[in-house]
Amino acid sequence: MPVDWGADMGKDECKTMLDALNKVTACYRHLVSALGSTSDSQNLREELKKTRKKAQELAVANRTKLTALLKDKSISNDDRAEYERLWVLFTSSMEILEVDMKRSLEIGQSFPLKVPTRHFIQTGMTGSTTTVAARAMSVQNMKYEADASIDTADLKDLETEIAQVDQMMEEMEMKVQVAPWAVEAKQEAGAELKSTVSVGNSSVGVISVCEEEPKEGGEGEAGLMKVFAGIIFTAVLLIAGILGYLVINL
Amino acid sequence: SFINADFNIFRYHVAVMCLENIMERVIVSMQDPDMGMKMRNQRLLITVIPHAMTGRDIVDWLIQKYTITEEEALHIGNFLVKYGYIYPLKEPRNLCLKQDETPYRFQTPYYWTSTRWPASELDYAIYLAKKNIRKQGELIEYEKECYNALHKRINHTWDFVVMQAREQLRASKQRRKADRIVLECQEQAYWLINRPPPGVMDILEQGPDRRNVANTRVQLVSGQMLAIFVKYCEQYQDHDPIMQGCLPSNPWITDDIMYWNMNSETVTMPTKLRVERWSFSFMELLNDPLGRKELLTYLEKEFSAENLCFWQACEEVRHGEASKIAAKVDEVYKQFLAPGASRWVNIDSKTMEKTLEGIKHPHRFVLDDAQMHIYFLMKKDSYPRYLKSELYKNLLAKAIVPQETKKSVFPFMRRQRHSSPSPALVTQTAEDNGKAKPSAAKANAGTASQI
Repeated sequence: MPVDWGADMGKDECKTMLDALNKVTACYRHLVSALGSTSDSQNLREELKKTRKKAQELAVANRTKLTALLKDKSISNDDRAEYERLWVLFTSSMEILEVDMKRSLEIGQSFPLKVPTRHFIQTGMTGSTTTVAARAMSVQNMKYEADASIDTADLKDLETEIAQVDQMMEEMEMKVQVAPWAVEAKQEAGAELKSTVSVGNSSVGVISVCEEEPKEGGEGEAGLMKVFAGIIFTAVLLIAGILGYLVINL
Repeated sequence: SFINADFNIFRYHVAVMCLENIMERVIVSMQDPDMGMKMRNQRLLITVIPHAMTGRDIVDWLIQKYTITEEEALHIGNFLVKYGYIYPLKEPRNLCLKQDETPYRFQTPYYWTSTRWPASELDYAIYLAKKNIRKQGELIEYEKECYNALHKRINHTWDFVVMQAREQLRASKQRRKADRIVLECQEQAYWLINRPPPGVMDILEQGPDRRNVANTRVQLVSGQMLAIFVKYCEQYQDHDPIMQGCLPSNPWITDDIMYWNMNSETVTMPTKLRVERWSFSFMELLNDPLGRKELLTYLEKEFSAENLCFWQACEEVRHGEASKIAAKVDEVYKQFLAPGASRWVNIDSKTMEKTLEGIKHPHRFVLDDAQMHIYFLMKKDSYPRYLKSELYKNLLAKAIVPQETKKSVFPFMRRQRHSSPSPALVTQTAEDNGKAKPSAAKANAGTASQI
């Protein structure tokens, strides 16, 4: 049976675009959670605007690609199942994006920047979100060009964009007939644990301290303990190596 | 009946939204740079995280800001914690406000409990997946159960859950350590309220039993908060010029300023309503200069007048010019706080120590603790005794009840009412006559002083 290179490339392209959308969605959510707090600033509003626009570009690109693939009647059943799975991933991402856009509108309106006394909530977060935004935009460093009126001007744009996203999702529901409950996930429960990317505070080959909850930043302390343990372990190894060498040579 | 059920659900929603609005406003006023909450630093091993506050500070702030009792402040504070606007830093699962050194922190607006944005299953699944990664598989029992249940229920989107969990963790890794710790605490606090562990009361009670809840918990809660407001309205109803009219007559209607003259600061005999108001709350008495004078007279008889003088001096420091603060604080120290001072005030040793330390670097609020101590002392002790004293009762008996001005029988005896010409007209006529603007301005000023 001839290999359908075109379909494979279509699938890979789709997956890459979905990964990109997924990344931007996660970063956008992170930025929205900083709104109204002491991390909020003119820069954050600009980061939100840029990330949001990027998310929408990716959304449109994904939708176009996926609808084209799903409309193709000549694809095999396996392929079809796979595209439906990707479609569900896409709609879930859009769900999260839509809610976050609406929330950012609400919180942005409640906490304007240009007021005589800002009453931003003192949440304990004081660092900047610029690296998160840079990750979303896939750049090294963010450039900031907006002026002081960004918070009010952008909110108007945001309202329009929310309406556009709502409309897009309605159209998607009408035109693409995919039954979500029929889709089976590829990953099993606990699949996230098999990730090769280390996302905790642990360093290599270390005793992991299991704690029920971050008591007074116990997580931070646990991470630090892990680092110390790692250093001591490496030091012991080095000393053992040196002693062994000396024993052999003397 | 069916209609009743819908109405109850509607009332539930309205009550909850009112409550949310009230709490949001309280939280925002706590952020005020001058009058807001006192913040402390939370020290972890090597990380320092700002914006922590103790339970005691929260209760004290509520008492002072809203002039309520300790019990009421504790009540409101507990709501703030139970609904997730403030979360405890030491025992995250213990969602109550302790009036001691227990630390708390504000929750970010995104995670505020709101019926407009209910927590979704997808979000919870992503959170559990993230926790699973961070804890390397060591979830708590009930979380493991929720995780497995969700895996079955929203299996079709599980791949997305895994992808999004990984990406969200990668995004957090971009922040610095202190912020990462705060992020984790915030998220955990949010889910402890929106998906409480078994055995803990679900404050949101989302589910099909809303009808029962509408008649019990939320109405009770909003009822108690509004009861304070209703009590205030009832107490002040007789004193409201719009509701009861004001004697002798409303100056805005009759152009007769007797009402203002009779209630001015320097009047010899106050009106009855004014003296009655002094018995409503200690703040009423203190805010009225005449009331303060009377209280001073009383306290002088009791040989505790220095308390009120000290309180007044502290007020002057708080509200006075910044350049004069250091000098004023020094005066206060010499008169009231120094050992052997002429008008020494009796403050407890801990507050005295703290104040004396603070005086070395004087600022506007350095005397706040001492002032509050004396304020509460007077409120609990001198104020009730003053209200029972002969001095107050005599004044109340002698106080004037103004007569309503009767319209005189003879029209020419009545005070003529005249409406001043609108300043806009004056400018118009001046321009029409070709007069220069400065003289028009003078005419305006003249008109204004007539009013």
